[in-house]
Amino acid sequence: MKILVVAEMQLGKLKPSNRATIRMAQDLAAQNGGTFSMMLVGHQIGDAASELNNFGAETLYVIDAPAFEHYLADTLTDAISKLVKEYGFDRVLGGEATTARDFFPRLAGALDAGMCRGVCGLTQVDGSTCYQRPVFSGMALRTERIHTPIHLITVDPTAMGEPDAGGAGEVVPFDAGVSANEGVQFVELQRAASERPDLSVADRVVGAGRGIKSADYLDTIGKLADKLGAAVGATRAVVDAGWLPNEFQVGQTGKAIAPKLYIAIGISGAVQHAAGIRGAKTIVAINKDAEAPIFKIADIGLVADLFDVVPQLIENL
Amino acid sequence: MKILVTVKPVADPNTPPAAWIESEQGKSGSVNYVANYFDLIAVEQAIQFKDMGVDDICIVSVTDESKMAQVRSAIAMGANRATLIDPEDRKLGAYQLAAAIAHVVKKEQPAFVLMGKQATDDDASQVGPILAGILGWPQATFVSQIEFNDDKSRVKVGRETDEGVEVLDVKLPAVITCDLRLNEPRYATLPNLIKSKKAPMERLKFSELGIDENPRVTVEGYSLPKGRSGETKMVADASELVATLKEMKLVD
Ligand SMILES: Cc1cc2nc3c(=O)[nH]c(=O)nc-3n(C[C@H](O)[C@H](O)[C@H](O)COP(=O)(O)OP(=O)(O)OC[C@H]3O[C@@H](n4cnc5c(N)ncnc54)[C@H](O)[C@@H]3O)c2cc1C
Repeated sequence: MKILVVAEMQLGKLKPSNRATIRMAQDLAAQNGGTFSMMLVGHQIGDAASELNNFGAETLYVIDAPAFEHYLADTLTDAISKLVKEYGFDRVLGGEATTARDFFPRLAGALDAGMCRGVCGLTQVDGSTCYQRPVFSGMALRTERIHTPIHLITVDPTAMGEPDAGGAGEVVPFDAGVSANEGVQFVELQRAASERPDLSVADRVVGAGRGIKSADYLDTIGKLADKLGAAVGATRAVVDAGWLPNEFQVGQTGKAIAPKLYIAIGISGAVQHAAGIRGAKTIVAINKDAEAPIFKIADIGLVADLFDVVPQLIENL
Repeated sequence: MKILVTVKPVADPNTPPAAWIESEQGKSGSVNYVANYFDLIAVEQAIQFKDMGVDDICIVSVTDESKMAQVRSAIAMGANRATLIDPEDRKLGAYQLAAAIAHVVKKEQPAFVLMGKQATDDDASQVGPILAGILGWPQATFVSQIEFNDDKSRVKVGRETDEGVEVLDVKLPAVITCDLRLNEPRYATLPNLIKSKKAPMERLKFSELGIDENPRVTVEGYSLPKGRSGETKMVADASELVATLKEMKLVD
């Protein structure tokens, strides 16, 4: 078994989710008495490559070229596909995210390989490793078996622990032979500037729902988040209303998060939202409707008007 | 201009998970089907492009006759015709679905393919990019804004990503998958539903397409996720909440 971890950059830094992917690679390698390698793609990524090279990988392939300054599924797929074929990798792992959700299946098409998305566990069925992943808005778990020689896996970053530290692997620059692609051109990234922690990996998250009534109240929600050193997340209702941009959305079609503390404020707890917070350690719900479904998944509940409670929390925390 | 739009009938997302699992395992048939919501967004987008010179919208669906009503509801939104591929009782995985759709794409040579970004049952989000990979076409996934350039040889799209809205300029033909905020799908009216019965419908069988029959991925079983702790501790007011959070060492 030859395992390859596709590590990723995000806004000039290593993505935190790489760590969960490396953890799964270490588990797979241990089960099979083998090793794993990693690859990192980008432009001028020497420092990030050194930072990444601390987990006992055999080899770290570095693809450093101007064509990879911005993430693009088409060019990245060509590069990985070439590396996989040249070195004969048969397990390719990445971190579940909007990038991997975009390029991994393209790779599956290009390599005619089976893929499992958002794998949260490994399990043995009749002596072979199968993959567990959430389906149906996270309301069910499915065990899947891949039959092709190459397995493509994206790993749910909220489901795996930290990787073991280890030695540095041999650094091998790899020429992917990919130049800028005329078919797809990067224009820009529209992103709201924020001083708060990154929602995907924050230890504490304050979630805002339609109950806050207007965008104006986000100032108060923000004050609570800052008191807690928390990130702000939101339901689809809040994003659809244009109160926050889409990267704040938590749920089936937004981010899946696993903070130690999630405070849901004015959120009903629809299955699609619940799908994104299942990994949270402690869920606190503040809602004036005692029947709201959020109380079924909350660890701590407070039935009250959020406009009374939130200022009191800011005051008392 | 011709566009292909894919539509998958899926179990109603409000189906209790245990019932859904039973129906997936062929143990009961008591599940309601609906057209995948993200696919309806794709259909809506195709219809909105009618002002831009799109005059042939073909729905492609891999489905058996029992779920025709769901496909018809999508046609009745305003599509011209449909191509149906009967899986002939096979449980097809993402790769085989994409290969079947690729077969139709190669024959029809559309200007582009519009799809939902994921199906709400499998939540795999794979068929679109696999299709692009098979065809070697450019792809743009999770699209929430889309506009043509002047000569309609390219589209500018906004993609919903973890980092923000990513704007790409994409050459056609391409595979484009649609996200929630692209539009609000219209409802099919009753007269259109009746008219849709007359829409031309090509029927193919999966076994006739020359696609490798061996599945790439199979389902080995299902389980229900471990529930959360179960107990919800109810507190009376903000100060009891703060005290509880402090006691549990969740805040300093
Ligand atoms: C295909 C699909 C995908 C989806 N994906 C997602 C997703 O990824 N993420 C997501 O979040 N949603 C998603 N949704 C939408 C989801 O179904 C819900 O509509 C949404 O989560 C509701 O958001 P909400 O809880 O903010 O609003 P509501 O459901 O309107 O809830 C508002 C809550 O606020 C409470 N409230 C009102 N005023 C007060 C007050 N003064 N004090 C205290 N409480 C108050 C109310 O009691 C209510 O419970 C998806 C839907 C579909 C169809």
